[in-house]
Amino acid sequence: MAGNLTRLTQHRGLLATLVRRELAARYRGSALGFLWSLVNPLLLLGVFTLVFGYLLPGGRGPSGRGLGATHPYVLFLVAGLFPWTWASSSLLEGTMSLSANSALIRKAVFPIGLLPLVAVLSNLLHFLLAMPILLGALVAGRLLGFPVLSWQSLWVPLVIALELVLLAGTVLGLAALNVHFKDVRDLLANALQLLFFLAPILYSADNIPWPWARRLILLNPFTPFTEAFQDLLFFGVPVAWGAWLHMTLLALVAWVAGSWLFRRLEDTVVEAA
Amino acid sequence: MTDAPPHAIEAEQLTKRYRRMAAGFRLRTLKSALLEGTLTRGLRPEEAIVALDSVSFTVGRGEAFGVIGANGSGKSTLLKLVAGLFKPTSGRLAVAGRVAALIELGAGFHPEISGRENVYINGAMLGLNRREIDQRYDRIVEFSGLEGFLEEPVKNYSSGMYVRLGFAVAVHTDPDVLLVDEVLSVGDEEFAHRCLRRIQEHLVSGGTLLVVSHSLDLVESLCDRVLWLDRGRSRGIGEPRRMIDAYRQQVAAAEGEKHLAEKDARAAEAAAGELAEGVTVGGEPADGEAEVLRWGSRQAEIVGFRLLVDGAERYELESGAEVTIEVEVVAREVLEDFVFGVAISTPRGIECWGTNTDLGGFVSQRLEGKARASVGCRSLRLAAGEYEVDLAVHSRNGSPYDYRRRCFRFTVTSRSGDRGVGVYAPEHRWTFAGGARLKAPTPPGTASG
Repeated sequence: MAGNLTRLTQHRGLLATLVRRELAARYRGSALGFLWSLVNPLLLLGVFTLVFGYLLPGGRGPSGRGLGATHPYVLFLVAGLFPWTWASSSLLEGTMSLSANSALIRKAVFPIGLLPLVAVLSNLLHFLLAMPILLGALVAGRLLGFPVLSWQSLWVPLVIALELVLLAGTVLGLAALNVHFKDVRDLLANALQLLFFLAPILYSADNIPWPWARRLILLNPFTPFTEAFQDLLFFGVPVAWGAWLHMTLLALVAWVAGSWLFRRLEDTVVEAA
Repeated sequence: MTDAPPHAIEAEQLTKRYRRMAAGFRLRTLKSALLEGTLTRGLRPEEAIVALDSVSFTVGRGEAFGVIGANGSGKSTLLKLVAGLFKPTSGRLAVAGRVAALIELGAGFHPEISGRENVYINGAMLGLNRREIDQRYDRIVEFSGLEGFLEEPVKNYSSGMYVRLGFAVAVHTDPDVLLVDEVLSVGDEEFAHRCLRRIQEHLVSGGTLLVVSHSLDLVESLCDRVLWLDRGRSRGIGEPRRMIDAYRQQVAAAEGEKHLAEKDARAAEAAAGELAEGVTVGGEPADGEAEVLRWGSRQAEIVGFRLLVDGAERYELESGAEVTIEVEVVAREVLEDFVFGVAISTPRGIECWGTNTDLGGFVSQRLEGKARASVGCRSLRLAAGEYEVDLAVHSRNGSPYDYRRRCFRFTVTSRSGDRGVGVYAPEHRWTFAGGARLKAPTPPGTASG
């Protein structure tokens, strides 16, 4: 809500400092430093290429929504998977951020709402660091003659911005809830697994034969975001107006609900943490 | 302090209750937090812990204000409320200007990253922007005395270094109100002095100070006024000397009660021990501790003892009070050779005074059945502190009938507020002449709101 937003701008310096702290602490003492955040996406890319390109018979994964002999499944997969990794690790870390830092928030006076946001932002940075790998793979695909990427891909930052709002609102609320009610974390961890399979990351929603299942998939808030990333990066087609509206609405609802919940619980969080 | 200065801290009927967070209350906790935005409204008394109960005070700008009280009296809660960490359950609290809380220094430090980076993060959390920290960085490092360690990750710091850096950052935020918990006790002597000097500078430049400490000497030397908290309630606000004396007296009274209870418990134990002895023929006492604290042939036995202060049984007294130590014995057989003895020592074993009837020149003639011996002192001039009493009945050559160590304890307080050291406190008076001028101590009075 508006109050939260003003506070956010007031404390952007501190927010930046805390994100830096998070990243500095994560890579301190490791020889490769931030290069490690490139290793995991590269590994994923390699394993998927191997599995779906050579090991599995057919090798092309499911067809539908333009998927077929002309499109490599591995690129489809990573176009949806990289953003999902950002979302799921942001949600998990953000939800834990207040209860895990109880020693800090009980002793230092500062806007504690920054901590969940730090989790989302530092994971966003990791996502952005992995972006060159994703883009590199797509460019390679294009050079090999697959019709991936296009000027439409330039809309990706807008999708990221909308998903950022969605994630920020959600973790604000969940983090405050988790302080009072530690079950939230376990609930979330299981919900995320469910949501992963309910999002068209491994498959395309068009392949699903049953209409009820497609409706179920559309209920998943991450479905429009996943499809938007796939549309812009993989298929190189514009995102439909309805999908933009859908994402904007989801982001707004998450922000309003999450920050309302946070506001409601904020005063009690410090004591209960 | 002249005509009503603007207040730095104003607290009115400040109350803080905590919800008991025992298992099984989780859902209810969440519900009340969600629906009411508070954890404590509408709580039944058994569900709440009252940490502060209607405490009111004001601290003027530039004033040094101390808070004293036992553990659990609400001092830290008060500090956390003023710091803005916790919200009061009810009442009003207004704090003017920038607050720096020296609570848990370095709370925001991340162990994995360097001291320098932590200075920036800590500074940012205390409300400084990057440029402001840049300006202060050298001063912070100099104050902390940690030159050469700033590039090390703080997990390699000693706890003292940790606190030094935390203190250095906190005091360099130029706060209007400085909140100080028990932090000065952590660093070494030299650093403690540096912190004190910094606090003095803060006061001289018009800053406000709120100190919470068990170090009563520190509170007295720093503060203009003192609030005494006792189990969440204000027991009074006033001149430091007066409040500290009142607090000390209450502590001594509580200790006296404890000594009495201990003595009674020991007497009950001894009674039980007598029964047990009836069955163990000639056996050693089973309990190792009992063996050390009591020995002798038991031809005569000490069965009771009391400390009388001004005629009433009590275990706390002012130095110089009239006391009587009374001992009751039962002789199992008729004895002609016996001595009553008494000794007072500190819990650390320093003997303060001891005497017996033999040393006093009395010649024993006959001890039979129940008997009582009392030794009275018109004025027991022990220094303030805790003492233990040993009692004995033995023969003239020293072989004990019943020797009992640490029969009871008592607490001595100083009447004048003079806190001299040692065990002996003679009546004394200071006089000065020539170029020496000193302000006389304010005579202690009774505490009142």
